Amino acid sequence: MYLALAKVDITDAISVWSRNMRVYLRLWKTELIAPIIEPIFTFFAFGFGVGALISSRVEGLSYLSFIGAGILAFTVLMRTVFELTYGAYFRMVYQSTYNAILSTPVNAESLAFGEILYAATKGLIDALFVIPLVIIFGSSTSYLAPLSIFPLLLGCLFLGSLSLAITAHIREIDHFNLYFALYWSTIFLCGAWFPVNKLFDWLQVIAYILPTTSAIDLTRAFLNGGFEQRHIFEAIYLIIISILLTEWALRSIRKRMVV
Amino acid sequence: MQSAVDAKNLVKKFDDLVAVNDISFNIQTGETFAILGENGAGKSTTIRMIACRSPLTSGKLFVGDFDTKKEEVKIRSILGIVPQENNLDPDLNVRENLLVYARYFRIDKNTAEKRSDKLLDFVGLSKKLGSKVESLSGGMKRRLIIARALLHKPRILLLDEPTTGLDPSVRQEIWEKLEELRQTENLTIILSTHYMDEAEKLSQRLFVMANGKIITRGKPQEIIRKRVKNYALEVRGIRNNPLVVTSTNITSHKRGNTHLYFAEEIEQLTPLMNSYDNTQMILRPSNLEDVFLIYVNSD
Ligand SMILES: Nc1ncnc2c1ncn2[C@@H]1O[C@H](COP(=O)(O)OP(=O)(O)O)[C@@H](O)[C@H]1O
Ligand SMILES: [Mg+2]
Repeated sequence: MYLALAKVDITDAISVWSRNMRVYLRLWKTELIAPIIEPIFTFFAFGFGVGALISSRVEGLSYLSFIGAGILAFTVLMRTVFELTYGAYFRMVYQSTYNAILSTPVNAESLAFGEILYAATKGLIDALFVIPLVIIFGSSTSYLAPLSIFPLLLGCLFLGSLSLAITAHIREIDHFNLYFALYWSTIFLCGAWFPVNKLFDWLQVIAYILPTTSAIDLTRAFLNGGFEQRHIFEAIYLIIISILLTEWALRSIRKRMVV
Repeated sequence: MQSAVDAKNLVKKFDDLVAVNDISFNIQTGETFAILGENGAGKSTTIRMIACRSPLTSGKLFVGDFDTKKEEVKIRSILGIVPQENNLDPDLNVRENLLVYARYFRIDKNTAEKRSDKLLDFVGLSKKLGSKVESLSGGMKRRLIIARALLHKPRILLLDEPTTGLDPSVRQEIWEKLEELRQTENLTIILSTHYMDEAEKLSQRLFVMANGKIITRGKPQEIIRKRVKNYALEVRGIRNNPLVVTSTNITSHKRGNTHLYFAEEIEQLTPLMNSYDNTQMILRPSNLEDVFLIYVNSD
C-alpha cells in the first residue's frame, strides 16, 4: 500500500502547472472571451425566457436568482472537465507531453497533480468573469458572492480528478462519448436548473450522492445567502470525495505512463 | 562511482510477452555504449527501465549508485533522455521548449537562459529561437531534443535510436555532435540502434540483443574478429543460383538475393569473383552487420 498523494512534490506540480499556464495565456484572448459568451446567452434563454413563465418563487428565490448558481457552476465545471478529458488526452497521447515531462525528475504523481491544479485554475479564471456577470444580471443578492469560488474549487478538484482518471483509462478518444453522455445526464439532476426536491424520491437520492449537487448547492448559498446545516455536510462530503478521486487520478496516471 | 549502469538478471514481461529476458550488463562511467538489435528486440524496454519509466518484473538495476526501484527522481536528475519518438512540445517555440524543460530540473531562469542559448548554438539552432517546433526539419528536431537532454548537465546521456528515420547526411550531423559530446569529461553515453554502422562508429563497447536476450557483447572490433572472418565478399542481385562450393577456410551465407563469403585473407576470396558475372560485387573488410546477420539468422 502506498499513498500516491504523498508522492506529489508541489514544486514539480507547479512547474507542470506553469507550462500549461504559459500556453493558456498566449491564447488568452480567445480563451478568456469564450467563457463569457455562453453564460450571457444562458441568462437570456433561461433567466429571462424560461424565467418569464415561472412566476412562483423557487426555493425562496426568483428563478433568475436561482439559476445564477447553475450557470456559474456549469461554466466552471465544464471548463475543468474539458481540460482534463480532451486537453489531457491530447497532451498524453498525441503530443507526448507527458512522456517528455516524465523524462525529467518530475514523477507521475506530481505531473497529474499539476494537471489537476491547472484545470481548476482555468475553471476559476472563468469564475472571475462569470461571477460579475451573475451580479450584473441580478442573480446574486449576497455580498458573499465572490466566496463562491471555494465550493467551485472543490467541484473542480473532484470532477477534474475524476476526468483525469477516466482519461488515463481510455484507449481511444471516442471513448469520451460515454463519459460525456453520463456527465450531461447527471448535470441535469444536480440542481443547476431546478431544485433537486422536485425529482422523484429515488432520483433525489442519486442526485444527493452526486457531489456536483453539493457543489452547486453551496455555490448558490454563497451567491444568495441562506446557509443551512446541510451545507456543512455537503462541504465535508465534497472534500472527502475530492481527496479520494485525486488519489485515484494520480494512481491512474502512474499506471498508464509507467509500464 | 565506477559503474554508470549495473544490471543483474533483468526481466520485463508484458503479460505473457517477455520483452527483456534475463539480461545482465555493466556500463562504465565515461564510456560510450551501444545496445544493438532489430525492431522488437527489447532495446526501448531496457532503456525505459534504466530511466525508471518501466518497473522491472524481476532483477536488479542500479543507475549510478541509485536503485531504480527506489530512487526514480534522483536517477532522472542525472540522466539526459533522448527518446525514440519526437516529444518536443508543439505548443511552445524552440527556445521555450528548453526553458520550460529546464524548470522541471529546477534550473533557475538566468542559468536556464544562458545554457539554452549556448546549447542552441552547439546544435546549430541559434537562428531558430522563436520558430515553431513543427516548422523544424527532422534533423533539427533531433538536435533540439539532444540539446534539451543536456540542459541539466547530465552524467549519463541515454539515446533511443537517435538517428532512425533520418537522411544519411543528417545522421552524419548527429554523429558529429555525439562524437563531440564523447570528448566531454565523464559523460557516459548509452545509445540503442539497429544500425550496425552507428554502433560500430560510436560505441566503445556494445551488446547485441535479439528476442529480449543478449546474444553477444564486447568491443565492436573484437566482436567482429571473434565472430566472423576478416574479409567479406558480397554478391548482390542473385536470383536462384546456389552458393558456390568453396574450401573449408571460406564460410558462405545466402540472404535473400545476396551471397556472402567470408575468409581471413583477401586473396582467398578473389577467385570466387570469377564464378559470377554481370552482378554487383563488393570485396570489403567484414563489419558488425555481418556478425549481426549471421547471428540473428542462425536460429
Ligand atoms: N507497453 C507495452 N505493452 C506490451 N508490449 C510491449 C510494450 N512495450 C513493448 N512491448 C513489446 O516488447 C517487445 C520489445 O519491444 P521494444 O523494447 O520496444 O523493442 P525495440 O525497442 O528493440 O524495438 C516487443 O515485442 C514489443 O511489442
Ligand atoms: Mg525501440
